[in-house]
Amino acid sequence: MGPYDASIPTGSGSCSSSSSSSCARKASDVDGLLAGAGYKVKSSDLLQVAKRLERLETFMVNTPSEISQQLASDTVHYNPTDLASWVDSLLSEFNHNYNQPHSFSSSVSDLSDFTADLHFSSVPDYWIEKNYTSPPHHPLTAVAAAATEEDSGIRLVHLLMTCAESVQRGDVSLAGSLIDYMQTLLSQVNRSSGIGKVAGYFIDALSRRLFYPQAVCAGSAFENEIWYHHFYEACPYLKFAHFTANQAILEAFDGHDCLHVIDFNLMYGLQWPALIQALALRPGGPPFLRITGIGPASPDGHDSLRGIGLKLAELARSVNVRFAFRGVAASRLDHVKPWMLKVGPAEVVAVNSIMQLHRLLSSEESLDTVLAWIRSLKPRIVTVVEQEANHNEPEFLDRFTESLYYYSTMFDSLEACTIQPEKTVAEMYIQREICNIVSCEGLARVERHEPLAKWKARLGAAGFWPLHLGSNAFKQANMLLTLFSAEGYCVEEKEGCLTIGWHSRPLIAASAWQAAPDPPPDPVPTPAPHVVVSS
Amino acid sequence: MAGGNEVNLNEAKTVVPLNTWILISNFKLAYNLLRRPDGTFNRHLAEFLDRKVPANAIPVDGVFSFDVVIDKATSLVSRVYCPVPVDEAQPGIVELERPLSTEVVPVIIFFHGGSFAHSSANSAIYDTLCRRFVGICDAVVVSVNYRRAPENRYPCAYDDGCAALKWVSSRPWLRSGKDCKVHMYLCGDSSGGNIVHNVAMRAVESDIVLLGIILLNPLFGGEGRTESETKLDGKYFVAVQDRDWYWRAFLPEGDDRNHPACNPFGPRGRSLEGLEFPKSLVVVAGLDLVQDWQLAYVEGLKKAGQDVKLLYLEQATIGFYLLPNNNYFYTVMDEIKQFVRSNCYLLKLQNSSNK
Repeated sequence: MGPYDASIPTGSGSCSSSSSSSCARKASDVDGLLAGAGYKVKSSDLLQVAKRLERLETFMVNTPSEISQQLASDTVHYNPTDLASWVDSLLSEFNHNYNQPHSFSSSVSDLSDFTADLHFSSVPDYWIEKNYTSPPHHPLTAVAAAATEEDSGIRLVHLLMTCAESVQRGDVSLAGSLIDYMQTLLSQVNRSSGIGKVAGYFIDALSRRLFYPQAVCAGSAFENEIWYHHFYEACPYLKFAHFTANQAILEAFDGHDCLHVIDFNLMYGLQWPALIQALALRPGGPPFLRITGIGPASPDGHDSLRGIGLKLAELARSVNVRFAFRGVAASRLDHVKPWMLKVGPAEVVAVNSIMQLHRLLSSEESLDTVLAWIRSLKPRIVTVVEQEANHNEPEFLDRFTESLYYYSTMFDSLEACTIQPEKTVAEMYIQREICNIVSCEGLARVERHEPLAKWKARLGAAGFWPLHLGSNAFKQANMLLTLFSAEGYCVEEKEGCLTIGWHSRPLIAASAWQAAPDPPPDPVPTPAPHVVVSS
Repeated sequence: MAGGNEVNLNEAKTVVPLNTWILISNFKLAYNLLRRPDGTFNRHLAEFLDRKVPANAIPVDGVFSFDVVIDKATSLVSRVYCPVPVDEAQPGIVELERPLSTEVVPVIIFFHGGSFAHSSANSAIYDTLCRRFVGICDAVVVSVNYRRAPENRYPCAYDDGCAALKWVSSRPWLRSGKDCKVHMYLCGDSSGGNIVHNVAMRAVESDIVLLGIILLNPLFGGEGRTESETKLDGKYFVAVQDRDWYWRAFLPEGDDRNHPACNPFGPRGRSLEGLEFPKSLVVVAGLDLVQDWQLAYVEGLKKAGQDVKLLYLEQATIGFYLLPNNNYFYTVMDEIKQFVRSNCYLLKLQNSSNK
């Protein structure tokens, strides 16, 4: 009998005093108290986990501390919420290197060697720590209606909600008067920052919804391109998306030579030069890379997809990576058919979706169709980055409220950017999203953001298993943040996914997936035995 | 090295429930991997491993929370936890212009633990703890996300504490009671407890009134080695050399543990005699190796004629208040509730007798 006999109360509290059957029922549940601390451990596994922690401690006590720390820092950690597997991964690292104090570094296979050049020069870990003058210590989020704003700011928020509520009820005349009143109030508030700035965009979007519902929210192709590039430079959200996805793709492609990346929205191809460069530096030589870029057909007839492809090919040539590009023009992802992607039999496929899946949510069928054909390609990895927000609730007021807080936070983070004109022009990129969420409906409303939890459920149901993003991606995402002067950005790990946010409100979430193996075919049913009951 | 290479884990296992043992051991081992002998800290890995939770404006078990920026310049943020008022039509929208209520609602300014280096206000364990305080004390809790060592040494954490105190005291919407004031308490565990004392010291020199302070397993120390440090070294999750590392990371470089921030009643400390120091509740765990320093703190307060209540929990280890699975947890929560609400009762009496 170990030290944990039945008399010591366990986490569920009531187990020791209740009947054995209720104990059995609870055994397969996650320990509720540890869950409140952020850890998922099944009650039935508690003893096992405790034993493994003990074993880990024994290893650590018998290893010099410098080596323990080096091991910890070189190891890629995954999903600390799953405490059992985290402890196990450390155990296997220590076990592997136990009694081999001098060869530990060579035994840890880690992609950080060649991905370090992805965006920055590789510097030893301790150098970064020592030179932290103002480290990102992940402060918490500020809500739009925070106490730091003056009275008119708070009043504006209340009025916006009241106006949105009257819009939802169909009371056009009240909504209209409220909009007029808010415009006047706006003139008394500082419009260049904080609530004044955000309110302006939302008032504008509300008035569009009421009076110009047919108006299109996007700018011209030229404008969109300018806004995108400025947003890309002014804040880290897009770079985080590209960078994290690339890291995951690189890891998934490790050991393979015939690679095919399918990009769900090529845009200006900004994600790919870094990947191409990283592949060029791969030990053992670069593989063959094909990129298929999906994007809308250019209105003026000129093949913009091909143009980007040519630039990428040029870059690939300059670093000796064998490269091929194909553009697939489609106005919607559900118009794409798998045969258009021409996936070769020997190719290892990565599907990359940066803020595209939510656009399919105007019809459940569209998303199901696309997820099904993604799966049919048997991709090695599917990288998904989405806005971490609930902007697709059925009720307008809920969408409005959510997006008000979400974009307030995002504008807050932009405010901290000092580069001009990036900052002002970047706002147009955001304004376009606000406009779409608030003033559009039906198929026109494409910015149907949903939170990570919902995406996890959808992807799980469609036959995908999560691939965890680890501490290496986390660390490098943090290093990306050091390029941005603003203090409030933070990267967080959440059960194998990474989020980037401002003052701890996550705004963008990145996750990676693989197709679950096909279930085995149903066994051929055997005929029921002929039963004779004799009396 | 104390204890040699033999892992002496048997004592801890017999005094705490299994899930507590797992939680605290997990922290212990993870933290070992983060502290480097050269005094630096693996901040990236620390943030990766720390389990965090977002604020939630939707009430859960009668408590909702939101984050506020207190000082943009230092990125000082706090998480505010509010009880859902029984009579309010729209919970979740904080009426930032009106006082909380005509009944007294205590405001507890909370400083999380982590030996000055670990955890944040949005760490899951502390979010959970703060929510419990709201429910038990019917109070508003403001959890301060102070700057941590070794990147930010003394006095950053205290400066942040003072900034938070000033901020709380000047919020019209945190006022309550017929006297329409902000009724403030300080509370903290581990390094948070140390911050509580040091912020209270500064408050005494200002015109800010603190109704009371609560120190849970507060971190104090000194250059000498006390009996409890020697006897309990390495036995209940904590080793003396780890404690030393954290002091070296927090105190000014080159300074020693007799610095008054660490050792308020030591050779470099000062007497609090004659000062209007708030009444205090100090909780000491009987299996915490720094208890001699904590008891010396209580003695120091008593000698100076201050109102201090000591709650000594014989078989409690560090972190016992993190999970509600032991009697000490409930004892301490009851004491804290009494401590905080007794003022409310007194004020009520005062106010009704003033009519």
